[in-house]
Amino acid sequence: MAGIWILGENRELTGELLTAGGELAAATGEKISVLLWKDRSRAEEYFALGADEILVLPELPEDVPPEALIPVITGEAKTSQPGLILLPATVRGREMAARVAAGLGTGLCSDAVAVRWNGERKTFEMERLAYGGMAVQKVVFRTAPAMATIPPRTFAPAPEKEGRTGTVRELPGPPPSPVRVVERKKRERTVRDLREARIIVCAGRGIEKQEDLRIARELAEALGGEIACTRPLSEEYHWLPEDLCIGLSGISVKPELYIGLGVSGQVQHITGIRDAKVIAAVNKDENAPIFQTADLGIVGDLYGVVPNLIQEIRKARGQ
Amino acid sequence: MDFKLTEEQELIRKNMREFTEKHVDPIAVEIDETSRHPEELFKKLAEGGWMGIPVPVEYGGSGSDYLTHIVAVDELARSCASTGFTVSIHVGIACMLVLLFGTEDQKKKFLAPMARGEKLGAFVLTEPGAGTDVMAATTTAVKDGNDYVLNGTKTFTSNGPTGDTYFVFAWTDKAAGRKGMSAFIVPRGTPGMEVGTHFKKMGLRSSQTSEMVFRNCRIPQENLLGKEGAGLLMAMTGFDHGRTGIAAQSTGILQAALDESIRYSKERVQFGQPISRQQAIAWMIADMATDLQAARFLTYHAAWMKDQGKPFSKEASMAKLFTSEAAMRHTIKAVQIHGGYGYVKGAKVERLMRDAKITEIYEGTSEAQRMVISGNVLR
Amino acid sequence: MPQMIACFKWVVDEAYIRVGASGDLDMNAVDYKISDYDKNALEEAARIREQAGGSVAAVTVGVPEATKGVKDALSRGAEKAFFIQDPSFRDLEPSQTARILAAVIQSRIPYDLILCGEGSSDLYARQVGPRLAELLGIPCLSFVQKLTVEGDRVVAERRTDEGQEVCTAPMPVLVTVLPDINTPRIPSVRDTLMASKKEVVPVRKEDLPDISSPFLETVSMKGTSLKRSGTRFTEDPGDVKAFVDTLLQKGVLK
Repeated sequence: MAGIWILGENRELTGELLTAGGELAAATGEKISVLLWKDRSRAEEYFALGADEILVLPELPEDVPPEALIPVITGEAKTSQPGLILLPATVRGREMAARVAAGLGTGLCSDAVAVRWNGERKTFEMERLAYGGMAVQKVVFRTAPAMATIPPRTFAPAPEKEGRTGTVRELPGPPPSPVRVVERKKRERTVRDLREARIIVCAGRGIEKQEDLRIARELAEALGGEIACTRPLSEEYHWLPEDLCIGLSGISVKPELYIGLGVSGQVQHITGIRDAKVIAAVNKDENAPIFQTADLGIVGDLYGVVPNLIQEIRKARGQ
Repeated sequence: MDFKLTEEQELIRKNMREFTEKHVDPIAVEIDETSRHPEELFKKLAEGGWMGIPVPVEYGGSGSDYLTHIVAVDELARSCASTGFTVSIHVGIACMLVLLFGTEDQKKKFLAPMARGEKLGAFVLTEPGAGTDVMAATTTAVKDGNDYVLNGTKTFTSNGPTGDTYFVFAWTDKAAGRKGMSAFIVPRGTPGMEVGTHFKKMGLRSSQTSEMVFRNCRIPQENLLGKEGAGLLMAMTGFDHGRTGIAAQSTGILQAALDESIRYSKERVQFGQPISRQQAIAWMIADMATDLQAARFLTYHAAWMKDQGKPFSKEASMAKLFTSEAAMRHTIKAVQIHGGYGYVKGAKVERLMRDAKITEIYEGTSEAQRMVISGNVLR
Repeated sequence: MPQMIACFKWVVDEAYIRVGASGDLDMNAVDYKISDYDKNALEEAARIREQAGGSVAAVTVGVPEATKGVKDALSRGAEKAFFIQDPSFRDLEPSQTARILAAVIQSRIPYDLILCGEGSSDLYARQVGPRLAELLGIPCLSFVQKLTVEGDRVVAERRTDEGQEVCTAPMPVLVTVLPDINTPRIPSVRDTLMASKKEVVPVRKEDLPDISSPFLETVSMKGTSLKRSGTRFTEDPGDVKAFVDTLLQKGVLK
């Protein structure tokens, strides 16, 4: 084994992966290489965060997608034979990881929530969720390198250390790519990042009309929190942007308080709030599964309950 | 012996399940409360080919067998008994009557639009003074040139207000007794046929029921179904199919009662544990599950007999008798398991209990089924 | 007129899985289904064929009992299915599935466009599509929410972390689809009945190169408990106040 590779997409994700990689580097005695995909000027910063080597990927023309770098990464990996490659479980990270893994003929643990080095068996052990979050799957690798994608915010950002430095190496240019990017539409982040939110009010299918989202917004406002939604509301009805969709296929959140309004509580959604400190729910169906996974719940029609709730909260918060 | 449905039947059940989750469950409470016939839902059922499963493709159907239709009704009724029933009587009686007894022209003209779900069929037999005692009917059809002229009043006609194609039974020769009744196909809008009083019902509320009034209603000869005088025989054949359908509807109701009881009893906590751990509740559910199994076997067996081309009057009656009584018995238990929550409007078990009652009454009461069964076994 | 392949997986319907007291998954009473997003892949292939012509072959890797899944796929618009089967093809890991698919597609199924779901409902590893593209040496467009075929190219709207990206690639190409790309049909009764009459090409393990060894080994699969205490309140104003008081006590309301 020759090193741990980190292919972070940006400063934030690279910082988190350096925490994961740092722990494993300590356990295995390996060095850490960061592959710079964007932000080529950040080499020094990454040394401070724990990188020993920077591998600089070639710059691409505007209309070439980053996936064009895959042959470069695979080629370099075949030469320098790292023992572990970590990528973020983002859209691009997932595709790149799967294709690099296929190119190297190796295994990949998608969306790893725990990564460990088993010194006795000399293998990396990882954990991930399966069956919509109902089960934890534990895997080991039979091939090298071991590879994993890690969801954003699974690890805290690595702390900066003074006086660290390392080597920088440029990787060769990619072969021509048949894929062309004709247009990029940046999603306007009209909303705050929910992963930072302390209080989240989540609208579910129990909200009957788009106008009625107002009820959820007012509650969020009274609580000083943010609004979010379940998958059908963003994906089927397009009432709210995807950034606000919580769940296995959306984002995972860790608020102090989550209140679901008319959220039924399918396991795929609950998986996204499993780390919430307090889960509360308002649903008129007392059999809704969310009551099983909530700390407290109100069985009742949200249209009647929420206005009262807002009043009580305002009183309690002295508004 | 093979106790398995075919893979196609299993997939069809799964597809119907998905259909009900998407299109029926969301409106089931509303159409019950408002007694509304959901036209838009029937359009979707028609698109999916659910309105003519056992009718051959050349007559607009899906070209499957009767058991497959029964499986679909079972699954549909699990979500909404009213809708399950409407499909059941449309296919099981209206479509099957033309398919079995109609002329080639009648199949093209009346069966195909029904099997495609463009027209809804209705079975017009019961009269105010003639329920189980069919022979007490008074509606007459008098031959006049090339036409028949119908006079009389029918009642409790399912799909009466919403139907397009009516199957009307009337005396052509009262003196001939059992061989004196004939059946006629009467399209909606025929002069002299009017929809009478709409009935407000205890349950099965989105299924529309009314009187049908015939005043000098002139029907051309070509709309006579089968031979003159064969009406009663055809009505009985219609009942064999229809009763199997009611058995499927009752099975669906029973399945829903079990689904709701299991779910609720596992979640409802009293005395520090889910009530499903109380033997009193657990045993109710055990009996419910056992009767459901028996109900489904009896029902599917009757449909299987039909598909084998064997006589199945006795099997249809047994299936209907057992499943409808089991549905009633267990929906009462399901409400009991739910306690006060089961007595509230909007609770599914409340609707199930109201919907179950009619299954012991229409298309032959439980008593009538016992007459058929005892007549068969004591022969 | 593209020749299309839609890949699908016949998976355990997670709604039927019970978690036993020891944390083991109880699969005794499970039913199976076509993995949710694979239905979108099948639907997209059928949709493109309805608009642009061409053909659709459904391809799956699974145990020989999965015949119902093959019929289900054929009832969703494919004209033909390739059923790659072996009793050992249960719980394959993504690299194995991709290697098997690549071997079979390369050797016997002509294609211009391969459609895969974003990920499977059971493992949701989201690897098979991109891996397959890499093994076949064709471009891959993943996480696609809108797809059009224009002549010998495809135009795809991809969802990325930053927003959207419109890409074009020449065929042959592999596309993985997101669930919002379409609404899968509920097959009609007739569709289901006709499915049994369509051609199913069986491919057996003996016809494949050796892919028996997984790259990734699952050492355990344990149920997780998401249960919480679940204190209940009614909608009475007094109860709503008690609810808010509880939030205050728990220190989450400031």
